[in-house]
Amino acid sequence: MCVECGCGKSIPFGVKVLSVLAPSLLRPRPATEPAGAGPTMVTPPLASSQTIEVHASLLAKNDDAAGRNRALFSQRRMLALNLVSSPGAGKTTLLSRTLDEFGGETPCAVVVGDLETDNDARRLHRPHVPVAQITTGTACHLDADMVGRGVSALDLAGVRVLFIENVGNLVCPAAFDLGEAVRVVLLSAAEGEDKPLKYPPIFKSAHLVLLTKTDVARVLGFDCAVAADNIRRVAPQAKLIQLSARSGEGLPEWYDFLRTHLPPR
Amino acid sequence: MHEVGIMESALALVQRQVTAHRASRADRVVLRIGTLAGVEPESLRFAFDVVSRGTVAEGATLEIESVPAAAYCPTCQQEFAVETGFIFICTGCGDLCGEIRRGRELELSRIEMS
Repeated sequence: MCVECGCGKSIPFGVKVLSVLAPSLLRPRPATEPAGAGPTMVTPPLASSQTIEVHASLLAKNDDAAGRNRALFSQRRMLALNLVSSPGAGKTTLLSRTLDEFGGETPCAVVVGDLETDNDARRLHRPHVPVAQITTGTACHLDADMVGRGVSALDLAGVRVLFIENVGNLVCPAAFDLGEAVRVVLLSAAEGEDKPLKYPPIFKSAHLVLLTKTDVARVLGFDCAVAADNIRRVAPQAKLIQLSARSGEGLPEWYDFLRTHLPPR
Repeated sequence: MHEVGIMESALALVQRQVTAHRASRADRVVLRIGTLAGVEPESLRFAFDVVSRGTVAEGATLEIESVPAAAYCPTCQQEFAVETGFIFICTGCGDLCGEIRRGRELELSRIEMS
């Protein structure tokens, strides 16, 4: 996989907005203090070897940015969802149909991450939906700072639901809080039923698991009951919805989930 | 391999602490990593070797303390240790449990510097 996976500032990423916005709304990133804990005051030079207790989170920088995102979403009474899965599990297809159907009644916005291309942003772009594409370069996940910058480029007036479509990867995104209220993990019927057992951390962190492409499960010999049982064993905390963005099976339940998780105005 | 990025964050913290204490180098860096953190200790070691080159931590000993996982059973209202794996079965009642109480730690614990 990637050789210089991306939390460091050294890795450039791009934000491209496919929406009704003027480029002037792409605000420059405000200067911030470097992340880190501990004393900044000047102390006398060390005479000899010394052990310093630090106890600082290695993800402090990301967690701070996630906190800022969460505060923004909360202040705007927006439901933010972080969609994670392996590549090809159907995130973009599900979102496309969701924006056409659910998005017709409830204003939505999308931030979508990929290593390269703005293909997904083009697929998701609708006149009524602001979409920002984040290209991460070589980074294998979105981090909270990238999402913050993507979101700041969008006109969020009236938006009730923000979908954050993460980079297709079932490993690295697990560790990175983006400030979302709901983490959605997708598993498609084109994968193995035992994927939750093979990639447990991301399923452990899920609030909702979507078993997608159920319309082709039979053809592929995928046993939805076995997959559902594996999900339940690894992620008993998560709600499970089985759906197909093509046939429409299970979509009403997905839309109901979104409606019931909308923050009150 | 998000371990490289995580190790870059760790070394930024180490650099800051070494500067703040007017030391010249870190001799030992101790991390606390939960067994559910989604981070591989071996990948961290590899990342440390690569990323620490040319920094105050070059040549330092990297120590990784593993934090065992603990889950919570809402039925029994008690914590229980998770020996291995990601399927948490309450040792009291046998129910499947999803609430993690410990094991997600990803922390720079302490630095020995001179």
